[in-house]
Amino acid sequence: MSDNAESPTETQKDDPSIQHAATEHTGASDEKKKIDVLLKAVGDAPIMKTKKWSVERGRTVQSLAQFISRFLKLEASEQLFIYVNQSFAPSPDQEVGVLFECFGSDGKLVLHYCKSQAWG
Amino acid sequence: MADDKDVLRDVWFGRIPACFTLSPEETTEREAEPYYLLLPRVSYLTLVTDKVKKHFLRVMKAEDSTEMWFEYEGTPLKWHYPIGVLFDLHASNTALPWNVTVHFKNFPEHDLLHCTSNSVIEAHFMSCIKEADALKHKGQVINDMQKKDHKQLWMGLQNDKFDQFWAMNRKLMEYPTDEGGFRYIPFRMYQTMGERPFIQKLFRPVSPEGHTLTLGDLLKELFPAAICAEDEPKRFQVMIHGIEPLLETPIQWLSEHLSHPDNFLHISIIPAPSD
Repeated sequence: MSDNAESPTETQKDDPSIQHAATEHTGASDEKKKIDVLLKAVGDAPIMKTKKWSVERGRTVQSLAQFISRFLKLEASEQLFIYVNQSFAPSPDQEVGVLFECFGSDGKLVLHYCKSQAWG
Repeated sequence: MADDKDVLRDVWFGRIPACFTLSPEETTEREAEPYYLLLPRVSYLTLVTDKVKKHFLRVMKAEDSTEMWFEYEGTPLKWHYPIGVLFDLHASNTALPWNVTVHFKNFPEHDLLHCTSNSVIEAHFMSCIKEADALKHKGQVINDMQKKDHKQLWMGLQNDKFDQFWAMNRKLMEYPTDEGGFRYIPFRMYQTMGERPFIQKLFRPVSPEGHTLTLGDLLKELFPAAICAEDEPKRFQVMIHGIEPLLETPIQWLSEHLSHPDNFLHISIIPAPSD
């Protein structure tokens, strides 16, 4: 998996706030504008070639789910469910920055995604 | 002196008198009378307003009945926030009843989540409880419960059954005897003029030195503007369930007694009224 900071190859009209995670982090302040997200597939969900992403804190779960759906080229009818801690599905309007603050570990937020409800 | 358990009942049975009026934008076949309803503070708008929908659909054409949504003075009301939070945040210092406007058209996609059935509310409610338990107990208590126990929590809320709900919820309010409280306190701090919907961070109920932390300690760390010196005029009200708890109240106690059924302590920070 490449660790360079190039933007993803697929066209995204509004996603400069989601980029491949870079290896260096600018500055040591804990209020970095972006947080690292690690995406893990569950069940029959396709595995993303790039799993680690740098996401702006203010990005919502819903917009991240839409990004993943587009990236995986899912059908419009296919739903995507996102889970934190393999236990709860955050509200679609929840900010990833808040989830990172509360449930991040080792400097990243691990999110599991699947096409059907995995953990109720 | 009120027993702590009485507080649980008072919280559960808190009500807000509301007056629902149909938006003038909606087309009706007859005039729509306003509908009055006592709303449970701890529930959700879409869970308790079936009668409101029936009332207004009676004067509208069948084909105009799409998803109902609510607005207060131009602000769409998020059904997935507890009713009491919405009221405290937007209307606590205005005269009762709470005047809510009902809409069926022009659903504000950017402001509101859709709520097509009660199972959507149930899923949201259970997710909040799981998230709260992840903070309190690393999710161990909720995970040890059976599916029927989870169902009991939801049914308790849906049917306004205090005893049924608390028979299960008390397990979520326990903590190891050698700890001073939960691992972290599940809370959300709302303000109307904030740049983000709410503040939610990790906060332990006991300091590393073993001191019981208070509401004041929480505010000092996350919203210091809400704490003012004795001689200063108060700029903000810190409201939970429509009251302003003393800042000396231990945050652990607040979490156990003033949380919503979703197990979160929802705190509204509103501008203090200027007399």
